[in-house]
Amino acid sequence: MIRVFDTLMPVSWDLALDVAAEISKYVIKNHSENAWACKTYSYQFIENTYAITRFALKDINTPAFAWHDSPAVGEESAGIAFAGFQTFGPGYWDRANADVLFISGTDPYETKTILWNEWIMPAIKKRGMKVIMVLPRKTAGAAFAEANGGLFLDVYPGTDTVLHMAIARILVENNWVDMEFIKNWTSNFFSELWETESGFGRGTRNTHWQWITTWGKLEAKGFEDFKKWLLGEKESDINTASQITGVSVEKIRKAAEMLANGDGKKKVSFGYEKGLYWSNNYLGTASLGSLALLTGCGNRPGRVLGRFGGHQRGGLGGGNYPGNKSPDKFGGRRRLTMDMDRWVESGHVRFAWVVGNTWMSAMAGSQSQMDTFNKLTRHNPNQVMSLVKEEIIETLKKRVDSGGMVVVNQDIYLRDPIGAKYADIVLPAATWGEENFTRANGERRLRLYSKFYDAPGEAKPDWWIVAQWAKKMGFEGYDWKDSNDVFTEGARFSRGRQDNNYDALVWMAKKKGVKAYELLRKFGTTGIQCPVIVVDEDYKYDRPGWEYTMPKAMRDSQDIRADGYKIIGVARLQDSEWKLPDAHFGARYIDPKNLTAFNTQSGKANWLKSPWDIFSDFFDFIKPKEDELWVTNGRINEIWQSGFDDVERRPYITQRFPENFIEIHPDDAKARGIESGDMVLAYSERIPVWKDSNMGTNALDTKYSNLVKQGHIKMTKASVTAVAMVTPAVKKGVSFMYFLHPTQPANSLAPRVPDPLTNQYRYKLGVGKVKKIGESPYKNEFRAMTFARRDIV
Amino acid sequence: MVNNEDKEKECLTNCLTTRRQFLFMSGAATATILLTQIPGLGLSNAFAVVAKYPRQKIGKLSALKQDMPVTFSYPSKDVKNILVKLGAPAGAGIGKGKDVVAFNPVCTHMGGNLEKAYHAEYKVLGQCPFHLSTFDLTRHGIIVSGHATESLPQIELELEGDDIYATGVIGLVYGRNSNI
Repeated sequence: MIRVFDTLMPVSWDLALDVAAEISKYVIKNHSENAWACKTYSYQFIENTYAITRFALKDINTPAFAWHDSPAVGEESAGIAFAGFQTFGPGYWDRANADVLFISGTDPYETKTILWNEWIMPAIKKRGMKVIMVLPRKTAGAAFAEANGGLFLDVYPGTDTVLHMAIARILVENNWVDMEFIKNWTSNFFSELWETESGFGRGTRNTHWQWITTWGKLEAKGFEDFKKWLLGEKESDINTASQITGVSVEKIRKAAEMLANGDGKKKVSFGYEKGLYWSNNYLGTASLGSLALLTGCGNRPGRVLGRFGGHQRGGLGGGNYPGNKSPDKFGGRRRLTMDMDRWVESGHVRFAWVVGNTWMSAMAGSQSQMDTFNKLTRHNPNQVMSLVKEEIIETLKKRVDSGGMVVVNQDIYLRDPIGAKYADIVLPAATWGEENFTRANGERRLRLYSKFYDAPGEAKPDWWIVAQWAKKMGFEGYDWKDSNDVFTEGARFSRGRQDNNYDALVWMAKKKGVKAYELLRKFGTTGIQCPVIVVDEDYKYDRPGWEYTMPKAMRDSQDIRADGYKIIGVARLQDSEWKLPDAHFGARYIDPKNLTAFNTQSGKANWLKSPWDIFSDFFDFIKPKEDELWVTNGRINEIWQSGFDDVERRPYITQRFPENFIEIHPDDAKARGIESGDMVLAYSERIPVWKDSNMGTNALDTKYSNLVKQGHIKMTKASVTAVAMVTPAVKKGVSFMYFLHPTQPANSLAPRVPDPLTNQYRYKLGVGKVKKIGESPYKNEFRAMTFARRDIV
Repeated sequence: MVNNEDKEKECLTNCLTTRRQFLFMSGAATATILLTQIPGLGLSNAFAVVAKYPRQKIGKLSALKQDMPVTFSYPSKDVKNILVKLGAPAGAGIGKGKDVVAFNPVCTHMGGNLEKAYHAEYKVLGQCPFHLSTFDLTRHGIIVSGHATESLPQIELELEGDDIYATGVIGLVYGRNSNI
């Protein structure tokens, strides 16, 4: 559809893509590829993400590229990755076979149903596994864990780092640390052995922390150095920590006792999600990694640290990100991937291609961003008033030359506002069930999503749309006939990935003379746990959890065997106790280090410091003042599919959640005269927006207080309504909203100032005042909503 | 209460139990009840499908003690339900305080038994022993938190003097493809 006279008019695929291709070429020629932006989902099937990234990154080669959930590409949990953990290394088996499981910033009952129902909850019930959960509000899973011997740590948003440091200090001071593991598996600068300093003769130069700072503040030179640093930090003091985090001294001590592992016999695992890394990205993840290492966690069955994950994973890179073209740079160091929201805000984007996401609705400070979109699109005088191709193109060229922006939105529904209000061209996409696609789950389990009906109308899979568009722009190699062609072509690009390396599967399919999809289909809904690797036909993989790596029938079948080889799946990555079989990895490339060692130069984990003072100026600014509350946000189980149209389309969800809700502690509610069912306004006049791209020259230029001094921050306003739900399940001083309600997006109140070390947003750090504006119709009626607390056991 | 085909058609797009209505048609007589209308909800009048069964006396109001659920069978012997005086007004509640309600206590998610899971303090049934769902008995058994995607089936009640009668079931008892 093309917007003509402000109405989306159905047109042919040819016309829509001719216009998209012409304007793309024009923008790239006259305004450079940096003005051609792509904002896309990262997970909606391997075939599509491969096609999209091949087009945008390899062929167009733009640095103006970001995933659906963050303003810039990059590590989502940098501190943990830098320490050497594979964030999707663990298998679900490991989650059910720990003695203690420390969960940070998520309740998998709400957000990772299968992992909770099939693994974690049975382990709590049957094995007596103890779960420690860290959240600002008690959810059903947290309440269940606590009632079954676990512990709930009620932390203020953004302060996890301090909690981790305080627990770590107790472990260190009492020698409750797994020294055997620390000696064998963590890096030591002072050692004469082949460790951090000496790897490949390059020292620490090629480790990530060196890319982001020269401060010397983040890396520790081994355990002793880490210990010395930790004991010297005032935030690691239990009383200071209790004050900052809001968690009682008793609870912090109890957590340390539960994690204590002086004899190394306890199996301790860690899992985390967005509550951690979307509140204080670098420090939160770095401190969690170091805490895990103290407990002997990292590279053995049942002793793992990794993300739980959210939606299924279907990312595949068809091109490399052109980092050298990015305008962003760390203070005094290398370039950082581009913050696309800032790039739009400062008027540099002339053409934006938005695939399967709502962009501004899902980003931080979303109301302020809508303002920018309005200016650049609807309020630009050059609007299409004709269905004649040449006239459309002429008008849109004038738009981009006048500083405006042309928006193409590609999605399975018409979403408001990105499609319904801002897009000049809307391209209807086919989704799962309407085409064959592949994705992997949270333990790297790759599966085929078979087509079972036709796409509605003329909707087409994203890879098909990309192919037609790319061909119209003169790019070659887009002659795919079906999804299987794309999947097969993408195989070699999957080799470096930890979550869906399926190269060997395609290799085996070729040996057997079948399509890759035909072989994958035989693995059924069990699928195969990536990476798929090639071993001797008679090799027996028997690491714990091996029985879940593929269906039994496949293990015994000839389908996975050829030329004396067979393919197998892998239960977990960096499994140090696994003695790798000889040779044969050469049959298809895979880095054997990923399978048994930490992902560092030395194969040993790195100790990372988490100095609170590089974040504290921002934290001191953002934390609630006077009568403000934290207005944090997150997912709930009932509306898991955020950003899709569950809330609008499914009658029962509409009935349960006709509007967004805000959980408020009874004391905070009383002080504001708020009762359950009241309509409230959450609002703020101090939402900071980092408004322009800039290059940090000196080391501390991108620290928040210096950004303010240098004029890079502007204050914006936002307000959002919600129905009050008064409940002691949420911590006093904190309120909580569902994060992506289409008409009441909680993240309007979130600061649009990403972590300068990683360019990841701090979505969970919304702050505002909350006041009653009336009674909602649900207060005294019984049909819709409920105000019963969610943490009843 | 209404009982005509037009309302049933409307209900296909806008009611508590949508796709199941089709199933009711083949079984017992069906009806729709108009749930309290809420201005500004964005839905047109919302109806719930009620499967009508022979009226059956299930207890006496004066015998009920607040927050002490009692069980009864309805509409057939093998369907065990709970009758409870909540002490707080509830959707479709009877009695002076509109606080006497009855529900089928089988979780609509996967059939967990919630009979003994009544929380007097919150008027909530749950957590389900299977997957932790909880339901609000003051609000037609709506899901509070969890995996269930339907409210608990509510037993429609009528009061005649001190006698409580069950007259129908709003929603479908777990595991059944019709209410017969």
